[in-house]
Amino acid sequence: MNRLTHLPTLRIRPESRRDIHYRGKAHPAAAGDTIATALYANGVRIFGRSLKYHRPRGLYSLDGECGNTTMAVDGVPNVRTETVPARAGMTVKAQNVVGSAERDLLGFMDALSFAMPAGFYYKTMHKPAPVWPLAINRIRKQAGLGAIAPDFEITGVFDELYPRADVCVVGGGPAGMCAALAAAEAGLRVILLEARPWMGGFFDYRAAAHPGGGLLHERARELADQVEKAPTIRVFTSAAMTGAYHDNLITAVQQGGDDDPFDSRYLQIRAGAMVAATGCIERPLLFENNEKPGVMQVGCAHRLARTWGLMPGEKIAFSVGHDLGLEAALDLAELGGRVVCVADIREDGQDPALAAALAERRIPYFKGWVATEAQGRPTLGRAVFSTITGTVQKEFSCDALVASAGFTPVTGPLNTAGAKLAYDNHTGFFLPTDLPPKTHAAGRIMGLQDPLSLETSGRLAGLRAAADCGKRVDDAVRDAEAALASQPGPERGCKLVTAPVKGKKTFICFDEDTTLKNVKQAMAQGFDVPELIKRFTAAGTGPGQGGIPGHNLPLFVAQTQASPDKHPRPTTVRAPLVPPLLAEYAGTNHDMSKRTPVHESQAAAGGKMERIAVWNRARVFSKSKGAKAEIENVRTNVGMLDASTLGKFRIFGPDAVKALQRVYAGDMTKIPSKRMKYAAMCNDDGCLLDDGVIVKQGDAGANDFYFTASTGRAGQTVEWIRYHAKYENWDFHLVNLTDAYGVINLAGPNARKVLEKVADADVSNDAFPFMGYREFTVNQTIPVRAMRLGFVGELSYEFHVPSSWMQALWDVLAEAGAEFGIQNFGLEAQNTLRMEKGHVIIGSESEQRTNLLDLGLGFLWDRNKPEAKTVGAVALRQAEHQKGRLKLVGFRMAEPADRAPKDGSPIVDDRIRGYVCTARYSHALDMPVGMALVEDELTPEGTRLSIFEDGCEGNLIHGEIVSMPFYDPDGKRMRM
Amino acid sequence: MSLTLTCPICGERNGYEFRYGGEDKGPRPDRARLTPEQWCDYVHMNDCVAGVQKEWWFHRDGCGAWFTTHRDTRTGLETDGPDNAART
Amino acid sequence: MFGKSKRLWPRAPMKTAYDAVIIGGGLHGLATAYFLARDHGITDVAVIEKNYIGFGGAGRNTAIVRANQRTQENVPLYKEALDLWPVLTKELDFNLMFYNCGNLNLAHGEATLKAMRLNVATAQFHGVKSQLVDPKECKELVPALDISDRPRYPVFGGMYHPPGGIVRHDAVVWGLAKGAAKRGVHIHQGTEVAGIGTSQGKVVSVETDRGKIHTPRVLNAAGGYAAALSHAFLRQRLPISVLTIQAMVTQPLKPLLDHVVSSGTYHCYGNQTLKGEIATGAHMDPWPNYTTDTTAYYIKHQAEALTEMLPCLKGVKFMRHWAGLADMTPDMAPIMDGNDPIEGYYVDCGWGYFGFKSSTVTGKYMAQFMAKGECPDILKPFQLKRFQEHRLMGETAALVNYSPDN
Repeated sequence: MNRLTHLPTLRIRPESRRDIHYRGKAHPAAAGDTIATALYANGVRIFGRSLKYHRPRGLYSLDGECGNTTMAVDGVPNVRTETVPARAGMTVKAQNVVGSAERDLLGFMDALSFAMPAGFYYKTMHKPAPVWPLAINRIRKQAGLGAIAPDFEITGVFDELYPRADVCVVGGGPAGMCAALAAAEAGLRVILLEARPWMGGFFDYRAAAHPGGGLLHERARELADQVEKAPTIRVFTSAAMTGAYHDNLITAVQQGGDDDPFDSRYLQIRAGAMVAATGCIERPLLFENNEKPGVMQVGCAHRLARTWGLMPGEKIAFSVGHDLGLEAALDLAELGGRVVCVADIREDGQDPALAAALAERRIPYFKGWVATEAQGRPTLGRAVFSTITGTVQKEFSCDALVASAGFTPVTGPLNTAGAKLAYDNHTGFFLPTDLPPKTHAAGRIMGLQDPLSLETSGRLAGLRAAADCGKRVDDAVRDAEAALASQPGPERGCKLVTAPVKGKKTFICFDEDTTLKNVKQAMAQGFDVPELIKRFTAAGTGPGQGGIPGHNLPLFVAQTQASPDKHPRPTTVRAPLVPPLLAEYAGTNHDMSKRTPVHESQAAAGGKMERIAVWNRARVFSKSKGAKAEIENVRTNVGMLDASTLGKFRIFGPDAVKALQRVYAGDMTKIPSKRMKYAAMCNDDGCLLDDGVIVKQGDAGANDFYFTASTGRAGQTVEWIRYHAKYENWDFHLVNLTDAYGVINLAGPNARKVLEKVADADVSNDAFPFMGYREFTVNQTIPVRAMRLGFVGELSYEFHVPSSWMQALWDVLAEAGAEFGIQNFGLEAQNTLRMEKGHVIIGSESEQRTNLLDLGLGFLWDRNKPEAKTVGAVALRQAEHQKGRLKLVGFRMAEPADRAPKDGSPIVDDRIRGYVCTARYSHALDMPVGMALVEDELTPEGTRLSIFEDGCEGNLIHGEIVSMPFYDPDGKRMRM
Repeated sequence: MSLTLTCPICGERNGYEFRYGGEDKGPRPDRARLTPEQWCDYVHMNDCVAGVQKEWWFHRDGCGAWFTTHRDTRTGLETDGPDNAART
Repeated sequence: MFGKSKRLWPRAPMKTAYDAVIIGGGLHGLATAYFLARDHGITDVAVIEKNYIGFGGAGRNTAIVRANQRTQENVPLYKEALDLWPVLTKELDFNLMFYNCGNLNLAHGEATLKAMRLNVATAQFHGVKSQLVDPKECKELVPALDISDRPRYPVFGGMYHPPGGIVRHDAVVWGLAKGAAKRGVHIHQGTEVAGIGTSQGKVVSVETDRGKIHTPRVLNAAGGYAAALSHAFLRQRLPISVLTIQAMVTQPLKPLLDHVVSSGTYHCYGNQTLKGEIATGAHMDPWPNYTTDTTAYYIKHQAEALTEMLPCLKGVKFMRHWAGLADMTPDMAPIMDGNDPIEGYYVDCGWGYFGFKSSTVTGKYMAQFMAKGECPDILKPFQLKRFQEHRLMGETAALVNYSPDN
């Protein structure tokens, strides 16, 4: 196709050619072409098929307001080809077609549309019942636009940017540019977002005269030049706003250009104030076959010619309701197009100069006329027009019908920011009545059309935004207000909702194939609110959302109601205002996981690292089943575990003990020196939240304590303790040392032998007994806080060392233990070892129903401690003698040959009476044992438990209650 | 990310830096003679006001302070900062 | 079938007295009205709805149904709810579009697998189909799933529950409204309740902005607003926090997901509607709100989570994002109670984000409760007194973590 050349408004560079691939052929495109304009230039008129009826669809708005021209590009479905630049090597495919877009084998569906009234699916296919499951498969295959392969992997760079600005201006048309300039002149940092690749808005492509002199497109370039040169304005072009949120948080997605280092960029802007200057889209004209390829909006036709040098057709007809339509008709004629007729919905009110110019060019011009039907197959060949009352008809042969009823302000930025909108009778728009704080609107969105008014309203909004940001601009605001008052105000809008048609093939929503007839059917069934009609007919729920039906649906409903409503109610506009890819939202990887100070050496030693909440931890080192070798090594020799994930805290100050008394169930006034106190925290229900040890630091009166929390609880410990002290004026300080210290657990009968070799202190059983706490150095260098405790049930030490010393200590111990055959052990081994000792892990042996007493940990609750309003104490007292609670028990298998039941298996009789928490084969005891939570009636020793494993199909296995701990019940080994 | 809150120490910050801590129910009651009803009322029950309420927040990814503020639950937005308790 | 359309539920005059008044024209309210009329002959019922029916959670959920809960108190209730979809479709002569596609719930660690085993075995014990599957089987069920080591939480296995699926939520609203209205129930939309009148410990009336209604029975089924109304009208406080929950859909696609996929670790689920959109949601902003505004944080988080599980979705677009209210209790189980201490006052709330899947069966039993005045056995575990008796339901293993009250 021959392109118009040498137009000053062109945005293509034909000399920079690239090919895109469609239907097996390379199609040349110019730099600056979108995929859609490139295909149009190559003669493509049908871009895809509609959702339900497989009607052919083509170019309509050039702004991607509907799904007509969405196509699959390089495997990505639903690409809005009207707004995506054509890049070299792209492969483009039509969607929802069987065969090709031109010859779709499902095209016959259109003929069946009469059989699918509104709410069709709700009323059919369920009788008889067996029909429905079969119908589902059919429906699923028919539904959906575009397909994605399950193994599809996206390529590209998805960037993210989180800038701040004083003022964010949305829309780079004349009003937006003037707003940005005004705010920048006031000394503010401004971000301007423009969805198109260039600024200029509807000045950009127009050759009409600007009242201030020159042509509109010249003025656009002049303003854009000023904006680009303003040092405090940052312009993002090809950046479509996706939503505005509270406190002026604005999101947008920017497409990368040929030279950008990213393909796409998520923008999240926190601004002091926002100016919405998003202008208007066109309100579709409703007539029969109003979406037939060849029918397009004014801006589409005009920009096609002026921006991309493509004449929309050989014979072009117009049916419009505004002067912009007349201007476009004249301009296309000026550019050499053949305009066969112009129907103007309005009887009067036109710009007389435009009417005169049409007459001068002898273009047939009809006032009070409108298109009623587009004909031709598969694309437009002829259009029928009539008076708006439908009394007289005329037909014109044409291959392009430029149709537009009026304008629709793009209020999405205001809607999502929380503005209230109401119908305005003069403009026919939904105009803002109540804007959120620090939010302003300017330009065509307010109904203005006059070039000078647009610029002034932009300037005014920019100044008001500057005032929001604390700038003193009162005089300038007043001047701008006065100027705006003297310029033309909002234009009267065309009120025609629909051409005089029955509406069987008049589409109010293209994406969902919703016709006027469908809307009437819905209303007859009681759906009288636009929002409900939307749900019942699906209008406005497709890929383009409200872009096509958003304005017409409320107007049509208001007009069609039994008692017509003067106040049409808009449907809800929701983010995202343009649909971003999930890849664009997901951006780069935001994972924040933590590694312990010895992560590398653990992994190098063969640790199978596993992600557990924020941490990466080694589950097993050996390949033996159930970590048998690791377990046996701890029981008979000595092993080392990286326990750095434990929570570690310091609390100090005069009231530190009061805070501890509040949150721990035990009596914290009784913490001896050089010994650990084992303690538990409950929630207000008495449920175990956390357990750990507390040691005193410094001398006796220091009020300085070091304490531990379980791994899972470490993150909340500070907030928990402070929460429960929040009404008190206690003087204490709490420091989270979790990341500052690493922890090594050295455990096994040979542990002392290893330690003796390196510790600069007497670590004999007498000098450092069980439950003791000591501070000493290792190898004259490494400062160590050592605790002798027995989670795994053997002679065991926990060394807390500054993280920077952690690897050194690990290496020292490993070297010292080499002669004994010291080995790493991981979480899996620890889990069995502690289970054999009956030690609980919170969340494993407890849940939201289990309190401290249920776990047999009543000894951690001091019911006689001084009143401290201890968290959980009231509940423990009230529930102390309650029946029917789940209690923690130990069990072994009734048949010694049985394996351990699977964790989580319920314990049943005629109902569920509890469940297995952890069960393992105990190598130490040479039999399977486990812990379970069971109803109190089942707790006596010797009680037989019936265990219902998943997949057992009724074949129960049986356990028998035994006392705990299973291993070394007297605790001798920990005290060795 | 839309909510912002005013921490008495750090100033206006992104809402996701904070953790909500419940309606302001006053100091913990004394343990003595607390009936199950009274206990439950303090621990579990809420007013669920659709409007401005005084509530606790914790500046988790910040200074670590608990503070009260006033927020309108109908909009989700802070109405008065922590210093102004007159709105309760 | 294609004859003249008539209103699905006729406009009704507002009377000054009804046998029962239901506050809230959501699914629970409409279902209770329907079953009052169907099972108990109580047809003189008014459903009072401030906006339009289905305005609240009924129209904002993602329509997933299942019966693989954790506790034996819940499973039978949800199982009966699952069985009701085809029954009601027939009875209401309205296609509720129950798509029995099954649910796959992913485990990303040993602890989750163990928790799932309890759910699976509990389901099997109650005759509900549910099974554990390994990563390879997960992939066979959902070919788009990434079971490699690439995601930050790799797939360890899953829980597959064939009887679950999705239902068209709007259809349930309209179908129940149609069925209830046909049996004489009056549905008053655009009507706001302003108070509940009591005398000598009994309910006697309901105040509305269209006048006073005399009635001996009131059900508070106001969803997210139930606790606020209870407190405002009767000074009765409830253990509820109302949070905003958000959901979103992608543009419609040809069939990609044949099952509902969810992951507790990622706080994320996805299911493909019959229209082809992939609906997803789950995570919540953990502070109380009555706003239904969406947040930028949420949609971003959801995209990250969903595309780690299902990487191909990176090439798909989100098209609509909305929010509703979830009335959360400390144990993630609902509160169904009534007739005590105020005679004739009933509450059905605290459903959090489980309100859709249970709505019909709850309506059935709440109707029985209201008709007979005595709590049916199946609802007894859900009474309010469990909170003061220190007997939480145990529906989630972990403590619910949206306020430090627990």
